[in-house]
Amino acid sequence: MSRKVIKSVTNLYDKKIERLAEVPDEKLPPLKNNKELKYIGRGISRIDGYDKVSGTAVFTFDKILKNMAHARILRCPHPHAKIRKIDITKAMNIKGVIDIITKDNTEKIDWYDGDTFIFDEHLRYQGDEIACVAAENEVIASMALKKIEVEYEILSHVTDKMTAVKEDAPKLYDWGNISPDANPAKYNRGDYEQGLKNADQIIEEEYNTQFVIHNPTEVHCSTVDWNGDHLTIWDSTQGIFAVRNSVAAALKIPQNKITVIKKYMGGGFGAKLEAGKYTVMAALLAKRIGRPVRITIDRKEMNLAVGNRPDSYQRLTVGVKNDGTLTALGMTMYGAMGAHRDGAGCQWPLRSLYKCPNVKVEEYHVAINTGRSRPFRAPGHVQGTFAFESIIDMAAEKIGMDPIEFRLKNYAEVEANWEIPWTTKLLKECYKQGAEAINWKSKRNKKAGEGKGPVKRGVGMASQIWWGTGGPPAYATVKLNRDGSVHVLSGTQDIGCGTYTILAQVAAEVLEIPVERITVSLGNTDEHPYGPSSGGSMTASSVTPAVYDGALQIKAKLMSGASALLGVREDNLVYSQGVIYSKDDKNKKKSIQEVVRETHEQILVATGARNARPQGVMLNSFGAQFAEVEVNLETGKVKVLKIVAAHDIGRTINRKLLENQFHGGIIQGIGYALLEERVIDHYTGKVLTTNLHNYKMPTIKDAPEIEVIIVSEGDDQISAIGAKGIGEPAIIPTAGAIANAVYNATGVRIRTLPITPDKILNQVYNIG
Amino acid sequence: MTDFDYIQPTTLQEASKVLSSDGINTLIYAGGTDALSLLKNDIYKQHKVLNLKKIEGLNYISFDKTNGLRIGALATISEIGSSPEIKENYNIIHEAANEIASPQLRNMGTLGGNLCQRPRCWYYREDFDCIRKGGGECFAYEGRNKFHCIVGGGPCYIVHPSDMAVALLALDAKVVIHSNNGERTIPINDLYVLPQDDPMNETILKPGEIVKEIQVQPPVKGIKSGYVKFKERDTWDFAVVSVGAVINSTNGIINNVNIAFGGIAPKPWSEKSLNKSLSSVRINENELEGKLKNLFSNAETLSENAYKVPLVRNLTKRLLLRLVQ
Repeated sequence: MSRKVIKSVTNLYDKKIERLAEVPDEKLPPLKNNKELKYIGRGISRIDGYDKVSGTAVFTFDKILKNMAHARILRCPHPHAKIRKIDITKAMNIKGVIDIITKDNTEKIDWYDGDTFIFDEHLRYQGDEIACVAAENEVIASMALKKIEVEYEILSHVTDKMTAVKEDAPKLYDWGNISPDANPAKYNRGDYEQGLKNADQIIEEEYNTQFVIHNPTEVHCSTVDWNGDHLTIWDSTQGIFAVRNSVAAALKIPQNKITVIKKYMGGGFGAKLEAGKYTVMAALLAKRIGRPVRITIDRKEMNLAVGNRPDSYQRLTVGVKNDGTLTALGMTMYGAMGAHRDGAGCQWPLRSLYKCPNVKVEEYHVAINTGRSRPFRAPGHVQGTFAFESIIDMAAEKIGMDPIEFRLKNYAEVEANWEIPWTTKLLKECYKQGAEAINWKSKRNKKAGEGKGPVKRGVGMASQIWWGTGGPPAYATVKLNRDGSVHVLSGTQDIGCGTYTILAQVAAEVLEIPVERITVSLGNTDEHPYGPSSGGSMTASSVTPAVYDGALQIKAKLMSGASALLGVREDNLVYSQGVIYSKDDKNKKKSIQEVVRETHEQILVATGARNARPQGVMLNSFGAQFAEVEVNLETGKVKVLKIVAAHDIGRTINRKLLENQFHGGIIQGIGYALLEERVIDHYTGKVLTTNLHNYKMPTIKDAPEIEVIIVSEGDDQISAIGAKGIGEPAIIPTAGAIANAVYNATGVRIRTLPITPDKILNQVYNIG
Repeated sequence: MTDFDYIQPTTLQEASKVLSSDGINTLIYAGGTDALSLLKNDIYKQHKVLNLKKIEGLNYISFDKTNGLRIGALATISEIGSSPEIKENYNIIHEAANEIASPQLRNMGTLGGNLCQRPRCWYYREDFDCIRKGGGECFAYEGRNKFHCIVGGGPCYIVHPSDMAVALLALDAKVVIHSNNGERTIPINDLYVLPQDDPMNETILKPGEIVKEIQVQPPVKGIKSGYVKFKERDTWDFAVVSVGAVINSTNGIINNVNIAFGGIAPKPWSEKSLNKSLSSVRINENELEGKLKNLFSNAETLSENAYKVPLVRNLTKRLLLRLVQ
């Protein structure tokens, strides 16, 4: 099939991302409706399940090579300091220590977009990297860290963003503490001031959200091995090509001299979307000592140095008419990036969820002396949706309208930022089916907190919008062997979501053969065609259409071969379950095995490509979550009884894996709403929650009943598969729905996450 | 973690001997659920680890109606939590044991270890040179203190983390302490010490002393007991506040009650005046609210922990109502 190179344009936040990519020349035939599909949409168990349950799955953390050395990193114990002197003599004298690298014996390598170096003498947070030790084992390496003598010049620090923006605050950079990219970042639509004048009611509120840490089960780790001038990296990563390209640039070696491999991973949530300093350090050490090096970071380092969701202060203003029409939306927000630049905003839910002609936004992204933030499952949308959907509920209450009715009144029919239509938007259907499933009418308190007794119940909801929907470039190679078995190869990766399984399902659907006959191979930059990083809920929506294209090409080759072998024109042939028949004579047939063998091919090979994104339309996923909660006003405890998640996410590819994604996202959302927080002692600038007792992630006992409702079929404007993506939508509305349910149950509005018992008791008992 | 010698005595005498000679440098290991994390996080830098688990005859639960309950220091929390005799006669111990940590930790953790565990204060557990570690300052006092104490604090403001200690205090249990100079038996209340008397230790145990056994008097007829533990997370968490009560009542009127509190003080806490003021009280919500409304009104709360005052009152009220109704 023919190909063309196009410029693929994606609107992502305020960025217009343009990428050249090769795509199929023609639109591929879309899939049938879900009901008529044999493999796609079914709840097939994950094909990597046995490996994982039996313990035979080799994760990066498990990767052991012969003669391997072990590396550990020395990190700064202070929030802000300069290195005066490093003395590694005593550490080097420990038996079993092989090598130590620091700023003194390595070249300066730029990191974090030029904000710093792999080893910087200016240390900007507790956890900043100072040295890396290679030793015969991890214990010796850890012991050596304590023997490295560092003389610091202690600098004054600031770990709170609202303090950091003050003039007399200690500065992290010569540009100050407010990022030049957002000082402020402004957005204006219509006439905001006029919008406020037109309002009958103006609601103004302040919200705060906390820092949270990704804390995936598998810590960040790499094993690296040089063979001559070729470097192989096994990395626990969400983006093998991103790691390859960053490490190549850091080490100034060609990209073809690096192979990055990742087979199985224990989670990332955005913290593993970029190459880590640790991988570069391991590569430097391995080169110097001529041995493979394994580097791991521990749970404390996970909680200090490899990313977090930025916090936020959000001052929101809503102007509304008494009939429910929104006239103005305003937002001033501050978010902390940590010690290096990264996005810390959260304006998009406010800008894109509802119809409102007048919008004004100002965002300040602030540097403070803590670990740098990284994308975390729906960056910005989780913080933003909590606050915005809370104030939307307050506005609805102020004018005496049901929250769902209020949202429907302001339903956006076209995307307001670009004034273009959506490919599909089934949010109304999400409201309808979700409200029915949670029993909205009977369970909703007419007046917040009207229930009797100290233990109160209520329901609340919040909406979701997300980008997702994927795009080129993304490729997949499909290979058909003589025995009819199939190999699918793509340079994307399965970070635990089930990518191996869904790609097999797509090939099975097209070739009409059982999933068991398909092997999927992912996560190798040398062996596989380019596949995208696993982020932005875009893996399924980007890669499944490429597999579909590849499998269709294989099918076309088979049809062509069968036509020659049978002497029947192609349009007189029919393909069914791996056998090609003549329409006129069912006895004239060739199995796909026979076609490969008799045409004297060993393997049929085709590489499929992801189609272009449609232009002039907007692509988003939507959804609404409904929470039923029980709040004990004597203890302040919030118990989530049930979450209904009703979403428009395009095509469901695997119902079981889809539910897994929703369960994970919602439970993580409950952690965000009720439990998790990175706590900092501002006086010393140090983190107090670097273990999993003090950093409280939810356990299974904190997980409620979860009901997942998918209101959508495939969106064939997006691709022939029509999937939008689900990883991030699952977490976006959870905290907002819970906060609104807590208010409905109790009449207490908590505007600072997480909603912990002390905050509820402080309000109930007027403390503080 | 620093290098250490691993010592495995088989008798209490041997263990006590090691501890008498070099107790300051020796970490006692009785299950490891706390000891290991203290070592790994460099809070302890001892170069000897003394494992008690090879000592025979310290893992038992024995009960009879005349002598009461005796639990060996090496009985695991899960053995205590699943003992039918404890459940029947000392429900408060049963409930407290099953609230501790997670099943895996309960399988490893022992009663002696639970009573002697170190505080969970995040300044103590993280890299701060605080008073409890021999430094000059309590960082929680003006820092982040939502989990810290509301009574009994100063100069250090930890809360004692043990659930078993609270339950045993409400039962007026006794602790048998071994030392090579002789055994002594003390009320559990006397095992613990406030920071004003010793800011670096939670117990009065001296080098060479090892908790050997816990004794609880036989249950009085008609007595009821229970334990309520409030935590932020539904499992695998320490108490924000906990309350244990042992109550003797007739027709809804309290004859006598013994209440103990966790999560509010540097040691398991009791308020004798509260116990006294509740006797002869008819148990109903209004009566109790009246009696409890001044409980801890003298609390010296810090910037972030005043919510514990209403919390402890409410938990106490609910527990007493549950036990009598």
